[in-house]
Parts: sequence; C-alpha cells; structure tokens
Amino acid sequence: MDPITAMIGIIVGGIIVGICVHFIPASAVGAMSASTGIATGPSMLSTGCGLAGLYAAGYMIGESTPLVVLSGAMGSALMIICTMLLANTICAFGTGVAPVAGSYDKDPITGWRQKPFMSPGTDGHSMPTTTALSGIIGALLGGAGGSLVFVSVYEMISPILEHTTAITIAGMVGAGVFLINCVLPAYVLVGKSEGMTDKKMKLLHKTFVSCLIVSVITAVFVYASVVVI
Amino acid sequence: MEPVTLTLMIGVGLAGVIAFIAGIIEDAESDAGSSSNPNSQVQLAPQIGHIITYYDKAIAGEPPQNGLWAAGACTIALLLSWRFVDLGMGQYYAVFFAAVAGAAVIALVQGCFGIFAHISRITSMAAFKQPLYWHALLTPLPYSMGLCFLTALLLTLLAFVASGILGNSFAPPLIALFMGITLGSIASGSGDIHYGAERLYQHLPFGSGIAISNQGDIDLKGEYGFRNSVDTPYFCMRFGGTITALAFGLLIFLDGWSRLFTFAGRWTSIILEAVIVAILFIFLNRLEKYTRDSYGPYPGQEDA
Repeated sequence: MDPITAMIGIIVGGIIVGICVHFIPASAVGAMSASTGIATGPSMLSTGCGLAGLYAAGYMIGESTPLVVLSGAMGSALMIICTMLLANTICAFGTGVAPVAGSYDKDPITGWRQKPFMSPGTDGHSMPTTTALSGIIGALLGGAGGSLVFVSVYEMISPILEHTTAITIAGMVGAGVFLINCVLPAYVLVGKSEGMTDKKMKLLHKTFVSCLIVSVITAVFVYASVVVI
Repeated sequence: MEPVTLTLMIGVGLAGVIAFIAGIIEDAESDAGSSSNPNSQVQLAPQIGHIITYYDKAIAGEPPQNGLWAAGACTIALLLSWRFVDLGMGQYYAVFFAAVAGAAVIALVQGCFGIFAHISRITSMAAFKQPLYWHALLTPLPYSMGLCFLTALLLTLLAFVASGILGNSFAPPLIALFMGITLGSIASGSGDIHYGAERLYQHLPFGSGIAISNQGDIDLKGEYGFRNSVDTPYFCMRFGGTITALAFGLLIFLDGWSRLFTFAGRWTSIILEAVIVAILFIFLNRLEKYTRDSYGPYPGQEDA
C-alpha cells in the first residue's frame, strides 16, 4: 500500500469510526433500566467494542487488507452481541423487565408493540430486536473502520520500522483514533442514542464533518512523520 | 492431534477461564467503588436529603480507568519479567511473579486514586450537608484495592496468554489496554444494571425500571446497619458479576475458538464468528419473546 492510499485509508477509517457511534444503542440512564440501550455512554461503549475488533485484527495482520478489516469487524460484532444478549438477560431476570424501545411503537422486524411493556415513568429498557440489529451494524462499522486505520498505518510504517514496533505503533494509533473519533459524536448524541431508529441520526452530517477534519489532521500527521520527516 | 493445535486449544480454554474470572472481579470492583453509571444516583441522593455511606470513587469512566490499571500492571510485569529471565528464572515463573508485582503496584495506585477521588466527590456535596464519614472510605478501600489487584493480575495474565500462546501480534501491554477498556465497557453495560436498577432500589417493587421521579431515592439501610460499599458486591456478584463474566468470557473464548479451525483457510474465523453472531442474535430475539410472554404488559397499559 503506497503512503497516499494509506493516508486515505486512515481518513476513511476515522470517519467510519465516528459514524458507528450513531448506530450503537447506548444510554447512561440505561443502568437504571430507565432508557433503551446498553447501559453506558455511547462513546465509551463504541471504544470498547472497537478495541475488541482491533484485538481480533491483531491476529490477522500481515494478511490482505480485506481479511484484517473483516476480522476486526467480526470481533467488534461479537463483543456487542455478547454484551447486548447478557445485558438483556440481566434486565429480564435481574430487574424483571422486557426489552422495550422508546423510539418506535412497533418493532419494524418483529412487529411487536412496545408501549404496553414500558415501565411507567421510563423511556424504555434494554435492547429489542431492531435496536440490537442496529448495534450489530454499528459494531461492524466501528471494527472495520478501526482495523482500516490500523492496517493503513501499519502498511505506511512497516517499510521503515521493525515488524513488532510497526504493529505496536499502528495499534496505538488505531486505539487513539477510537478515543478521539468516538467522543466527537457525544456532542450531538448528548449521552443517549437508540441506534438507527433514533431521531439523532439526522445529525449524522455533523459527526461526518467533525470526524473528517480530525481524521485529515491525524492522517497528515502520520504521513508527515513517516514520509516527510 | 498436532502439538500446535493442542497448545492452542489449551490457550483458548485458559484465556476463556481467565476472562471469566476477571469479569466477575472487575464488576465487583466497579460496584464497590460506585465507579460506573449508577454513581449518578449516589451523587443525587444527598441532593434530595439522603445522607449516604457509599464509597464513591467515580471521577473517571469505568472503561478508561480499568484500561489504565490493566495496561499499567502489564507494562510493569513485562519489564520485570525480562529482568527476572536475565537473573536465571524460568520464563513462566518470571511472567507469573512479575504479573503479581505489577498488579500489587497498581493496587496501591488505585488506593491513592480512590482516597482522593472519594474525598473530592464527597466534599463537593458539602452544600447538601453530606458529611465525610471515614468509615465509609476506610472500610471498603482495602476491599476495592484487593479487587483491583485481582483484575489487573488476571488481565495481565490474559494479555500474556493472548500474546504468547494464542499468537496475537500486539505487545502484551497494548493487549492489556484493549482488554481493560473492553472489559470495562462490558461490565459498565451489563453488570452495572444489576447495581443501578436493583441493588440501589431494593425498596421499590421488582419488575420495573427506575422512573425518573424516583431517581436519587436510593436505599440507605443494609442487611445490617447502614449500607456501605462492601455490601454491594456481596449482592451484585451473584448475578450481575456472573453475567458480566459470561459476556467477557464468551467474547474471549469464542474469538479464540473460531481461530482453531482451518476449513476455509484464513477466512475460517471470520465465517465462524459471523455464524456465532447470527446464533446469539437469534437467542436475543427468543429471550425478548420469552420475557414479553412471561411478564405481560403493565396493568393499565394494555392498549397504550
């Protein structure tokens, strides 16, 4: 991969990482079963699932780019489905509530009505089917984006550095992109998102622009440090 | 069976077991320190006139906090293990003793962090007449440090297993950072529901989320006297902790398990993981159906 293609890879990966946060259902008040979504902030949850993807991509580095990217995507998806299934289990048997979404009345996939099962005074709890599917889509995007950044940085720096050092630096840049680009959407999501059925999806363009700017800066910085200096 | 495959199988099993135990301990550590999302309720309580005796060290999100403990312990362990090997110690002994030393240092750091975090959190509630009780800090502090020691130790060992036996390309401290943040977000997203929606509100009827109007009205009395933060993991570890452990253990075990097969070359693990995700998604849907059928709609909301 030539440096310019790698730079484009870092930019595209960074934007995808930012967009993924909109798809992952998460809400801090979910910890009190008072809102739909995984019970933590969207930014930190997306970072956690993206890093699980990076860990999975670490087994594949050295293979072709699609393999590394898909491995990262599937690692992320595995993390998010494990978390959602077990979070639903705690809601079902630990607090005694059924999964209910606040953003739609009938589940678009199963057709099940939501409002009758919503506990009074809350805005939903845990993840019904459509919301969970949105989470899986988000995790696939996040894992793929993070792995794309990882493999792009690795390809850019591997000719000039030792193999182990190149992997470590690429992994740190990949993790850093998660810590930056997953936090940017927090300004539009304000601590709560129900995934693709949420009205905040209309604010996706703001995330896109902010992540584009940040990713360009990151990519230019990496390019400059590797190629120019 | 080829020796390489046998070693990998042992590594996958070992990683799964370590991840499972780490999940239980990490969830208990966050519950003992109120260091996740339910801490908002602990902070709300004095504002509505409840004087609390909970240990509150929530000045950072659980995932980065846990990532810091794991990465710190693993970095110290890696450096010490090189030194121990130079001194003539066997490789596995060197890693284990270095991991114990690294985790011990990090437990002390967590203790300092916890003391200052709790004092600053509680003194910020002085406007609501919340006193700083020393027993609320000193009783759970060694317990919380012990749990932090175990979490850091287990995540360090997990990082060494993933790097040394399973063949992950990253350096162990970086794997420990990834695993720490991932485990922190899993524990924060699953196990803490049992703390925030059930343990803090046991006086409210079972079978309902916590309405916004009730938030902050947390339990103040425990099984014996005023409730403190040692009681919390005692309750939450039995269900919330185990479920968190299952989520993290499943993730690490299934991710490693999918790499044992080679029927489709390098694509095998991706295909297997896609199948696993689909199966777990079906489980999620069936669980939703089960809970809806079992619990039924809330009275008076059948036609809502």
